[in-house]
Amino acid sequence: MIENKLIDLIHVTKRYGNNTIIDDLNLYIRENEFLTLLGPSGCGKTTTLRIIGGFESPDEGQVIFGGKDITKLPPNERQLNTVFQKYALFTHMTIAENIAFGLKIKKKSKQYINDKIKYALKLVNLDGYENRMPDSLSGGQQQRIAIARAIVNEPKVLLLDEPLGALDLKLRQDMQYELIRLKNELGITFVYVTHDQEEALTMSDTIMVMTQGYIQQIGTPEDIYNEPKNAFVADFIGESNIISGTMIEDKLVNILGCNFPCVDVGFGKNKPVDVVIRPEDIDLVKPEEGLMQGRVTSLIFKGVHYEMEVMANGYEFLVHSTDLSPVGSEVGIKVDPFDIQIMNKPESEDEEAVMPLE
Amino acid sequence: MSKNAKSPAKNPSALLATPYTIWMIGFIVIPLLMVVYYGMTAKSDGAFTFENIKLIAQPENLRALWLSILLSLISTIICLVIAYPLAMILRNMKFKSNSFIVMIFILPMWMNSLLRTIAWQNILERKGVLNAFLTFLNLPTLNIINTPAAIVLGMVYDFLPFMILPLYNTLAKIDENVINAARDLGANSRQTFMKIIFPLSLPGVISGITMVFVPSLTTFAISNILGGSKVLLIGNVIEQQFQKLNNWNSGSGLSLVLMVFVLISMALVAKYDKGGDSTSVW
Amino acid sequence: MKKTNKILALGMVAALTFTGCGSEDEEFTLKATNNYKAGENGEVYVYNWGEYIDERVIDVFEKDTGIKVIYNTFEENEDMYPIIATGAAKYDVVCPSDYMIQKMIDEDMLQPLNKDNIPNLKNIGSEYLKASEEFDPGNVYSVPYCWGTVGILYNTTMVDEPIDSWGVLFDEKYKNDILMIDSVRDGFMIALSYLGYDQNTTNEAELNEALELLQKQYPLVQAYVVDQVRDKMIGGEAALGVIYSGEAIYTQRENPDLEYVVPKEGSNTWIDGWVIPSNAENKENAEAWINFLCRPDVALVNFDYITYSTPNTAARELIEDADIRNSTIAFPGSDILDRCSTFKYLGEEVETLYMNLWNKKSN
Repeated sequence: MIENKLIDLIHVTKRYGNNTIIDDLNLYIRENEFLTLLGPSGCGKTTTLRIIGGFESPDEGQVIFGGKDITKLPPNERQLNTVFQKYALFTHMTIAENIAFGLKIKKKSKQYINDKIKYALKLVNLDGYENRMPDSLSGGQQQRIAIARAIVNEPKVLLLDEPLGALDLKLRQDMQYELIRLKNELGITFVYVTHDQEEALTMSDTIMVMTQGYIQQIGTPEDIYNEPKNAFVADFIGESNIISGTMIEDKLVNILGCNFPCVDVGFGKNKPVDVVIRPEDIDLVKPEEGLMQGRVTSLIFKGVHYEMEVMANGYEFLVHSTDLSPVGSEVGIKVDPFDIQIMNKPESEDEEAVMPLE
Repeated sequence: MSKNAKSPAKNPSALLATPYTIWMIGFIVIPLLMVVYYGMTAKSDGAFTFENIKLIAQPENLRALWLSILLSLISTIICLVIAYPLAMILRNMKFKSNSFIVMIFILPMWMNSLLRTIAWQNILERKGVLNAFLTFLNLPTLNIINTPAAIVLGMVYDFLPFMILPLYNTLAKIDENVINAARDLGANSRQTFMKIIFPLSLPGVISGITMVFVPSLTTFAISNILGGSKVLLIGNVIEQQFQKLNNWNSGSGLSLVLMVFVLISMALVAKYDKGGDSTSVW
Repeated sequence: MKKTNKILALGMVAALTFTGCGSEDEEFTLKATNNYKAGENGEVYVYNWGEYIDERVIDVFEKDTGIKVIYNTFEENEDMYPIIATGAAKYDVVCPSDYMIQKMIDEDMLQPLNKDNIPNLKNIGSEYLKASEEFDPGNVYSVPYCWGTVGILYNTTMVDEPIDSWGVLFDEKYKNDILMIDSVRDGFMIALSYLGYDQNTTNEAELNEALELLQKQYPLVQAYVVDQVRDKMIGGEAALGVIYSGEAIYTQRENPDLEYVVPKEGSNTWIDGWVIPSNAENKENAEAWINFLCRPDVALVNFDYITYSTPNTAARELIEDADIRNSTIAFPGSDILDRCSTFKYLGEEVETLYMNLWNKKSN
């Protein structure tokens, strides 16, 4: 159950020289929440994480933890633990010593520590690895030890900085499930940083999409995916077709000369808008049955679906379907009104800056 | 009889190693064997003997050896104490000024070490640069020259870069996130240093100690120039045997004793630095 | 002559670039009478001390005789000895010091000189030939080239009494103001002479007495030096120093406060002479070389450059500067020479004994 605010970032700004990495960021994280900070490289997500962890200080703003201002607190005094990108295990210590490190600092008893080590190793499915050295473990195993080392200290919050980046696909997927299981078992808050949107969609309760130091959108995975607020989010999450169109009136939009009924209201009359349609939401039908006509220009079998490109009225649509239409065939495009997402065109310069080039 | 398992035709890279092998054998292995040979044979009749090695037991020679060890140890420790914080600071600096600062420390090494030692003599003499400066400031003069302190100073100055470099190399290789992890897990600065940074820097420390201790153990030029030849070190004794008494056997015998120290240091380095990456200069 | 601190040579090269070892800016008046091409009449391999010749005379020799000169240098007698002994390199004419010449004669490493080929020998003063007989009886194997004495160099502004005895070097009054010589034989020579013993003694009781004196001296010594004594005394680092006479002349040029004295108890004279090794291949060319160096004008040029005393009396008469021509440092009278003697080679065992005792001086 996701409950009250645990961490609060208020008006946080961070600069490096002339670069503003994070600009007036406001974010709160609730107890037991799995929050993912998602965005491309350099968007500020790692910096945000490091500010929460205490490895960086914000130039402006505050970090509140459990009601207390911890902005000036060093990392070793904060009640959270971090899993670092390349594991950062202590190569000169055994696995057991690695895991016990935080507990020894806290001066826990020997018995307590031994119990905890056993428990942690069991939790990450690496029983019996106490006396191994980190170098002798595989990447995935090292990652799990890094997780064990962090959670053994019973932190309220676990920060994870792209922990699965160095693993291969299968292992990554397995680890994703492991992390979800851990979260449910331990009941702690996860703050997860990644640039992989699929990972974010799989594991999170809440996703925060960032770019260039700004929050673009915060919401559940479904919200982000189905109702992206702007072109950037739409483009970043999943694949999408983003087309310029005109909102004729409520529930009717004109795309490339053809009128499509949709469900969005409140955008005004005859206003230019951005239209987002997911590839899997496009149905290819007989030309006369579609609202727009086009020709298939490419066909690729992707296993899960066929990926086709359809040229219609000057725009190359990306289409995912389990049915194939051969290259060169004339097709009709049909989209359920519910699957058409309308977004405002960017107004300010900043927003324009984050628009992907067409 | 072929020495290589694969003939060069089948293993062309073996051929490439030939110049190095010749060099190794000609300039390292053979001279070493010659030292062992001379050291273990008598000058008069070439018979096998331990007399040359036993020369170390003569009271003056033992004293010289003891003094050499003492001065070298002191110099090594001073180098370590100076170099470690310096290496830490270097490590924490931004990249751009980094290589510049490293250059500054390496730069003196480009000049002949003998000239640098003589320069120090000019500085430390009674009427030298340092005292002229102090007199100018109406401060009392310092009489460091021709004392063991001057010898230590000369050794530290000469060998400090050899301590800084391996230390810096090892420290630089410590991933910043490892240190962050320690802090994250609750360690304060002191604990982070004692439990993480220092143990991880140990290969560099051992390497640096070896690269300072061994050469300073065998020096005789520094004790002559800065110590006024008042201190007899083991290096001086060996030089005497070769140069003045023309006795290669006794000189080699005493050198064999010194070799023991070199071997011990090498063993230590091998134990602590299996990857061998702290001994690279750049 | 002994240069025991050869390692300083490297440093000296840099330091001396400006000070120079002689008056190279003086006009070079030596001219060749013939115009042979070097090598027309063979070659000669010469092995000499470093900085021990005005190298321009080599060109003149080559032009005059047509003999090509291959010239190499060494820093210490002990560096030169193994080269000649093992035949590692073949030299035709070499310039060792007195005791080393004796050692080489003892070991049959030299061949007698054909005096007919060295008519210029007549220019060498008879007293020097007599002195050479101490190590080369009958002057069979050697011709003197340079010689000198060992004495005390003192700074007149830093002492207030007449200096005439080795005793000042052991006087507490001069603590830390004494530059003692860093050489086994010379060091013992000073102690033995002061005690009234022979500087070539093998008597262990006498040597131990000398050692005691050296041990008493140790805390008073500022530094043990050889070549460095020159620059240190010029710089006023110490009141007293032990120096070779040839260097003394140079230091006086640089610092007029310095005076040189051969103490009354007696001292050491050293002679460096030319010899021809047994395995020399160009004996006659070697003798031509020696003969050339015995020319008064040639010896004069070398004297100007090296500043070490020349045994060539004809050259001495050509010296223009009366102060130098009559200098008792460069050309001491018989009163001084009579109380000096040269070193003998004492054999391996005794030399090792001396060395071991010397190392005990800091006990």
